[in-house]
Amino acid sequence: MRYVIVGGGIAGVSACEVIRKKDPKGEIVLIDTEEHPLYSRVLLGAYLVGKIPREKIFLKTESWYEEQKIEWLRGLHVTALDSINHHVALSDGREISYNKLLLASGCQPRLLGEDLRGVSYLRTLDDADHLLQLLREQENNTCGFIYGGGFIACEYLWIFYHHHISTTIAFRGPWFWSKVLDAQSGGMIEKWLQKNGVRVVPAVSIQKLLGQETLEGIETGEQIWESTLLGVGIGTTPELHWIKEAGVQTQEGICVDTRMKTNIPDIYAAGDIAEVKDQISGRSLVARTWTNAVLQGRIAGANMIGGSETFETVSSYSMSILGLDAVFIGDTSRKAAEEIIVEGTQEVGIAQHFIRGGRIVGATLVGRSQERSPLTKAIQEKKKELL
Amino acid sequence: MPRLTIKVDPDLCIGAASCVTVAPETFRLNDENKAYVLDHGQEPEGSTYERTIEVSEEEKENIILSAQSCPTLAVIISDEEGNQIYPI
Repeated sequence: MRYVIVGGGIAGVSACEVIRKKDPKGEIVLIDTEEHPLYSRVLLGAYLVGKIPREKIFLKTESWYEEQKIEWLRGLHVTALDSINHHVALSDGREISYNKLLLASGCQPRLLGEDLRGVSYLRTLDDADHLLQLLREQENNTCGFIYGGGFIACEYLWIFYHHHISTTIAFRGPWFWSKVLDAQSGGMIEKWLQKNGVRVVPAVSIQKLLGQETLEGIETGEQIWESTLLGVGIGTTPELHWIKEAGVQTQEGICVDTRMKTNIPDIYAAGDIAEVKDQISGRSLVARTWTNAVLQGRIAGANMIGGSETFETVSSYSMSILGLDAVFIGDTSRKAAEEIIVEGTQEVGIAQHFIRGGRIVGATLVGRSQERSPLTKAIQEKKKELL
Repeated sequence: MPRLTIKVDPDLCIGAASCVTVAPETFRLNDENKAYVLDHGQEPEGSTYERTIEVSEEEKENIILSAQSCPTLAVIISDEEGNQIYPI
């Protein structure tokens, strides 16, 4: 039996672990675009502020793959999938056949159309090393600009704050994370950022980067902002082209059932690239969290060796916006909600309850994390009445 | 029954709640959005970030899995001899 895992992140490696434990003799091939052993993307920020040393972010050693008899193909990506003949084509021209295939290749950051020295992204360890190099080069004269109003923007806020960099944050929406948060929550975050010395510029988009080889400024509409270091966090997107061509059903991600199975026999998906038919909300959800990637990878691995495990969990994101906690729980789609109830004030924190079918399906909490556990329970238990 | 010492480093914990999802009988989130340690769903002597508890082999395996799920390696597990089992 040959198991082929596309993607060397936490979803893919979690699947490998489960498979190896239950099938000591099966062949496992792991195809990884990166060159590093598994590391925690969540710790990149802690590494960049010097909270933990670089070697501590690794979750596996170089030798682990060999010890587990995993054929680890590094620095390669899949270019095509033939689901009829059961093989994948690699970027080095090789073809690898499979009996069971897991697609766990994650997402890539959305890029700006242009690039200069001083522009940074924060998805991989190589990105983090690059940012650290930029920080060293710039020393005390850094003028920081963050583009984006989401999770990666929070990471940049922390990193820039730690390095005493004057910071402007700009995003396209009317307030921070406006696809999910309401105006009151957004206003609370804006005030908090301003209180911490951050200049907040909503409702703009970058038109042009200024400078010859290195970044000197940023043009947004009619305004020009001085900037020597730009952190970009405008979302991520999965590479689905070759997957769609093979007939695998996709929407925002690869559509899977709760067993992580796609519409094509012997092909599974897990982690950031997967879009799961959620049993609690009744909708297909993409929830790109570490926890989901671990659990889905384990479940996919178990099912690839003949198990029958299902993924049923209330997903949640948790982030710190320069010390202000924000938590998203369950299905927080503004479009899908029939009603959104906003509670609280900026003094005590603000909650949103997302209601559909007469019950709570999701919630956001800004500055009131203490309600996280009871709300998660209410969503999990499909409670009709609010707390 | 094996005895495990389970510790959450609140400075590392970011409230990802992986441990709570995998082992809800052993971990819960507090008001600061940090995981703390339970003894089979209970809190004898109140909320704490460190606890030594008796567990079955099956429970031990699941608690180690929950620690392995943590993206910040904030869950530290030691055996009864004081040897750190995870992270290693």
